[in-house]
Amino acid sequence: MKNPYLPLPMRIEKITVETEDKSLRTFSLSFLNKADAEEFGFLPGQFAEVHVFGQGEAPFGIASSPLLKDRVEFTVNRIPGGIVTTALHNAREGDIVGLRGPLGNGYPVQEFEGKDVVIIGGGFAFTTLRSLTWYILANRDRFGKLTVLYGAREPGLLLYKDELAAWQKRDDLELILTVDRGREGWQGKVGVVPAILKEVAPSSANAYAVVCGPPVMIRFTLPVLQELGFPPERVIMSLEMRMKCGLGMCGRCNIGHKYVCKDGPVFTLAELNELPAEY
Amino acid sequence: MGTTEKIREIAAGLLRDGKVDVVIGYGPGTLPLRSTPLFARTVEEAERLIWDATCGNNLAVYLPGRKDRVGIVVKGCDSRAVVQLIHENQIAREQVFLIGVPCAGIVDRRQVEAAVEREIKLAREEGPELVVEGDGWSRRFHKEEVLYGACRTCRHNNPVLYDALAAEPLPSRNGGPTLVEVWEKKPAEERRNFILSEMARCIRCYACRNACPLCYCTECFVDCSTPRWLGRATDAGENLFFQIGRVFHVAGRCVACGACGRACPMDLKLGLLLGKMNKDVLELFGHEAGLNPEVPPALNAFRPDDPETFLLGK
Amino acid sequence: MRGVIIRKERVNDFLNALRAGYLLYAPVRTQAGPVFAPVNGATEWPWPAGNTLKSAKEVFLPQTETLFTYRTAPDGVQIEEARVEGQRVLLGVRPCDARSLTMLDKVFAGEGVRDPYYTARREKTVVLGLACNEPCATCFCTSLGGSPFGTDGCDLLWVDLGDRCLVRVVTEKGKALVEGRPEFEPAGDADLAAAQRLEEGALGRMGTVAVQGVKEKLDRLFADPLWDRVYEKCLGCGTCTYLCPTCHCFDLTDEVVDGVGIRLRTWDACMYPLFTLHASGHNPRPTPKERFRQRIMHKFKYFVDNFRETACVGCGRCIRYCPVNIDIRSVLAEISAR
Repeated sequence: MKNPYLPLPMRIEKITVETEDKSLRTFSLSFLNKADAEEFGFLPGQFAEVHVFGQGEAPFGIASSPLLKDRVEFTVNRIPGGIVTTALHNAREGDIVGLRGPLGNGYPVQEFEGKDVVIIGGGFAFTTLRSLTWYILANRDRFGKLTVLYGAREPGLLLYKDELAAWQKRDDLELILTVDRGREGWQGKVGVVPAILKEVAPSSANAYAVVCGPPVMIRFTLPVLQELGFPPERVIMSLEMRMKCGLGMCGRCNIGHKYVCKDGPVFTLAELNELPAEY
Repeated sequence: MGTTEKIREIAAGLLRDGKVDVVIGYGPGTLPLRSTPLFARTVEEAERLIWDATCGNNLAVYLPGRKDRVGIVVKGCDSRAVVQLIHENQIAREQVFLIGVPCAGIVDRRQVEAAVEREIKLAREEGPELVVEGDGWSRRFHKEEVLYGACRTCRHNNPVLYDALAAEPLPSRNGGPTLVEVWEKKPAEERRNFILSEMARCIRCYACRNACPLCYCTECFVDCSTPRWLGRATDAGENLFFQIGRVFHVAGRCVACGACGRACPMDLKLGLLLGKMNKDVLELFGHEAGLNPEVPPALNAFRPDDPETFLLGK
Repeated sequence: MRGVIIRKERVNDFLNALRAGYLLYAPVRTQAGPVFAPVNGATEWPWPAGNTLKSAKEVFLPQTETLFTYRTAPDGVQIEEARVEGQRVLLGVRPCDARSLTMLDKVFAGEGVRDPYYTARREKTVVLGLACNEPCATCFCTSLGGSPFGTDGCDLLWVDLGDRCLVRVVTEKGKALVEGRPEFEPAGDADLAAAQRLEEGALGRMGTVAVQGVKEKLDRLFADPLWDRVYEKCLGCGTCTYLCPTCHCFDLTDEVVDGVGIRLRTWDACMYPLFTLHASGHNPRPTPKERFRQRIMHKFKYFVDNFRETACVGCGRCIRYCPVNIDIRSVLAEISAR
């Protein structure tokens, strides 16, 4: 029996500082064992537990494209007092970490086939949405119109700036970037994500909305989606909870009878409406 | 009027007159030899309050952080805990109405259970005696013989602070060597082995800490992760770190109520560790917790004449 | 399932013979109450009356367990998995605790990902249950689908008939323990009748608790004001959780000792404030009220939603050892009355 508690050994190949305040770094990991690399596969929306040896483990959404075969990427926000995030931010390229995954249920990409997809992200919750965007772009003809609306508090806090610039130039997706506070040289929109969503008003006919962001953004985005006619079954969300085992055994991450690590982290709004408001 | 009736009368009066939002007292338990904390918010609920020799919980544990006005039933030790909490700014004097109850000691149900060795189905007090019954048997004890160790040698059985007294003050106890004094005389190795064997049994449920009114830190040192003072493993070493840490954190503040030892599901002899600490504090600093709200705990104040034997050998 | 008989004079021989092939666990008397511990054959026979203080779950899910150790090096990491070794027999476990194992199986050894440590222990352990001739006043297993003579989770069930014991064979695994052994002879009609009488007597003593319909009530009671009062006495310690046979929450941490990393699993409890505290400071269960509600909901509703079983076996430990005498029977009655 495969032991789900054992981490795969990984090497930190590249660390990219994503934001001006250096609070967010992307870690690109490679597999030390070729067999692990060959066996590892995941759906966008799934997460993994990253193990900093001697310190601890923490769950992070997988930020890289599932089609990238020999790399797994995570974008980590440094939490003050957080053991793992601080240790990761102090790590260097070449350091060895552990990986347990993929865990969780991923975005229902099969259901998206033949439909339009509206991706709505805020701040550093964009990580798994980046994975989803790459997945759709790599399988482009399976999906309808792709709209990506991504906002941050200010331009310096946007992730994956180079990729965003490249996506801007593509004609197979509509990328709308927005910031709460603009500044000189900023060419995108200025306004909070829910407001820009209202402005862009993507069609909800035959479309799924995938939403990831801080609680305040979610709170104001959901009513806009409702107004636009997205039914709760076609509003897809990814939740965060304190997690340890990632397997639905340690009992920690449940909302009602669902475990966010095992039955989630991806839930439809319809599913969430059935669960107690305890998150 | 009996003590129970008096408590009910005072509590009902407080609630009827709107002087408090809740009266925290004791109610009948669902098991023999047990009572349970009772939160009475109406005159009807106050009718269920009781007082007897099973009322061992220290109800002051429910005070820190409260915003409402509280009536609270307190024994001698509990009242000292309230005094200590007032001094430490965890509750305001004006917020509490203390219903003081002079205490003749709490019955140690584990002693009784060990003595009868069978399942007790019923228990009742008859004056100074305790009657326990099971299937086809009955046995009588003198309550005095089956009190908790700390109660036997308690010198503060009358509340030190109160707004109303539910009974006449009782004579205080002064005789006999305490359990701590007995243990102090044993050889060091025996004491060490005993402590380690007790520590090996601890399951880190933190019932002791959570039952203690003076353990009110929002982040206990065992939960601090940066730095991580101790690990989660339940071996004698880690458990000892927790227990000794807690003993030292309540040093000068512990009122010897015994709630920690009573709460412990593993029946660890915590009263011994804390009793020793209290004795040392009294000898070194001449201080006992919870007797005077103006006096800071011994380890929270500096006096030029504090003993410095560890430093200067005198 | 007729079973076999062993005369009490021969029990020592049987238990001592088992030592040859198995590590034996049995209830060992301690000052605070019996706990399961490795025993040297017959040293603890006859087993204590009543139930153990800590449940049998720690024999399969230890409170502190090393999952693996590791050493890092510049070019990699060496990981050494902890292995569960040796065959074991768990003796003298009451039917409630044995039944709780079938519930833990659903979590740790279910259809999806399995826990290799728990699963190995379960596979390597023969469970010899001990029927309760005299259930305690705090027992209510029958209200939850159990029985003082129940065999769920048992490979064998031991019934004390006075001068002899009836051993019911429940599984092939249990059969292997007694088959062909000289201490046993086939049970006769009189033996079975004696066991039957004891069982009826035990069932007659059981209290009942209104669990029927609690799940359906809880389905709609999440936001009910009942939770504002029922938690008030609770100290938020881990006593009920740690002693409970079906509670299974745990924590995973790393320790480093003498340069060797250790991945540790330790029991944890939903009653603690840090259990669901996010690193950001947000806590979905910020006060003792939410945490108390979670425990009740998990055991009497969520576990039913997921596994169609109530995660309570009616052992009564939480009632007996709660420092403030919170009685789950009273809580269930309050829920039923809503």
